[in-house]
Amino acid sequence: MDFKSSSFMYILGFGVVLFVLVQSTFFLVRAIKRGKELGISSQKMKSTALQSALFSIAPAISIVATVIVLSSALGVVLPWIRLTVIGNLQYETSSAQAALNAMGNSAGISAAITSPEQFSTVAWVMTVGSVMPLVILPFVLKKLQTGIGKAVGKDKVWANLMSAAAFIGLICAFIGRAILGTGDKNADIIGDGAGTLSITGLLSSVAFMLIFTYLIKKIPKLQKLESFAMPLSMFLGMGVVLLVNHFLPSAYIVEWRY
Amino acid sequence: MSDYFNKTHTWGRIWTAAALAIFLCIPVAISVHFNAWPKAEYFFKGLAAVAVIFYPTAVIEVISYAPLLGAAGTYLSFVTGNIANLKLPCTISALETTGYSATEEEGEVISTIAVAVSSIVTTVIIALGVLLMSVTGFITSITSPDSPLYPAFQQILPCLFGAIGAGYFYKHYKLAVAPLAVILIVLAINGGIQTGILIVIGVVTALLATHLMYKGGLLTKKDGGFDE
Repeated sequence: MDFKSSSFMYILGFGVVLFVLVQSTFFLVRAIKRGKELGISSQKMKSTALQSALFSIAPAISIVATVIVLSSALGVVLPWIRLTVIGNLQYETSSAQAALNAMGNSAGISAAITSPEQFSTVAWVMTVGSVMPLVILPFVLKKLQTGIGKAVGKDKVWANLMSAAAFIGLICAFIGRAILGTGDKNADIIGDGAGTLSITGLLSSVAFMLIFTYLIKKIPKLQKLESFAMPLSMFLGMGVVLLVNHFLPSAYIVEWRY
Repeated sequence: MSDYFNKTHTWGRIWTAAALAIFLCIPVAISVHFNAWPKAEYFFKGLAAVAVIFYPTAVIEVISYAPLLGAAGTYLSFVTGNIANLKLPCTISALETTGYSATEEEGEVISTIAVAVSSIVTTVIIALGVLLMSVTGFITSITSPDSPLYPAFQQILPCLFGAIGAGYFYKHYKLAVAPLAVILIVLAINGGIQTGILIVIGVVTALLATHLMYKGGLLTKKDGGFDE
C-alpha cells in the first residue's frame, strides 16, 4: 500500500476529525444553553442550525473536490486533514508547491510524491505556514472584541449600521468578482474568472431569493420556510447554471481573461 | 463585557492552544512514523515562500473577520478554515434571518450556532466524501470536469452570494451603493485582483461611506435593518 494512504495516516485523519467535532459540539451546546437563558426561541435556534447545515452542503462537496485535486501528488489523507482544518485550496496548493520547489522538485504537485522525506517536508511547510491565526488569536481577539463592545456602547444605531456595512462590503467583493473578475489567460481553468455562467448563477439566485422573500411576506403560511429560502435560492441558481450550460451554444459561454 | 463573553474567550483560548498543539503534532507524527525528518534548509526555504504572503494575510483576516463572526465563531472558524466561502455566509444568513445584530449577545449565540453546525456538517461531509472516494470513486465522478454537474460546482460562490446579497441589499440598499461601485471600478481596472484584497477594499469602503452618511444625517436605524 502507498505510504501516503496507510492506515497510520487514516488514524491521524480521524483523530483530527474527532477533535473538530468535539470542539464544535462543545461551543454549540454552550451557545444553545446561553440562547435559552437569553430567551431566544428553540425554533429560531433550530432554524439557524438547519439553514447553516443546508448552506454548508454544496461548498463541502466542493472542498472534497479540492482534496481530489491534491490527492494525485499527496495521497488522499494529508489533503483531507489539511482541508478539514484551517486550509483552503489556494493556500494548500501554494504551500505544497513551495515545499517541493525548495527541494528542487520542479514537477511540484503535478506528479506523485514517492519519497517519505519529501512528503514529511510538505506536511511541515503546509502546517507551520498555516497556523499563524491560531498563534495570534488568543492574544488579540479579546482586546478586539472589547474595543468593539465599547464602541457599540457609545452609539448603538451607529454600531448596528457599521456591522451591517461590514457584511455588505464583504458580500460586494464576491458579487463584484462574479461580474467582472478575470481568470488567468494562461491557465485553462473553468470558473476562475467571471463570465456568462457566473452572471447567470448570480442573477438567478438573486431572482429566486427576491421571489421567495415576496411570497413569504405575502403568504403567512410560508413563513415557516423562511430559513430554507437562501439555501434553496443557491441550489436553484446552480440548477439554472446547469440548464444554461446545457442549452446555450458553447460560443456564448465565455469567461473574462487577463 | 458579560460573564458569557469572558468565559467564551477563556474556552476559546484553551481550544485554540489545543488545536495548535494537535496540528503541529501531525507533521511530527509523520516524521517519526516514517523516520523521515525534513532538512532545515528545505523546510525554511519552502516556509519563507509561503509565510511572506500568508502570515500578513492571517493578521488581516483575524482583524477583518473577528467583528463579523463573534467571539466563539472566530475561535471555531480559524480552526476549521474555509471562512469566506462557508463560515461567513452561514453567519450572515443566520443573523439576517433571525434579525439579531453581530454586536449583541443574542447575535453572538446565533453566529456560534451557525459556525458550529457548519463546521460539523462540513467535517462530516468531507470525511464521508474521502471514504466514498477511497472506496467507490463516487465524489470524483460528480465533481470531475467530465461530470454534467461540474459547471454548477464551479459557480457555487456567485449563487451563494447572490442568494445572501439579495436579502441583504433588499434591506440595506443605501449601504451597498458605494462599496459595490468601488469594487466594480477596481475590477474594471484590474480584474485579476485577489478576493482577499477585494474583501478588504469592500469592507473599508462600506464602513467609511456608512460612517459619513450617518454623520451627514442620511441614515436612520431602519437602514441598519433594526426597526426596534
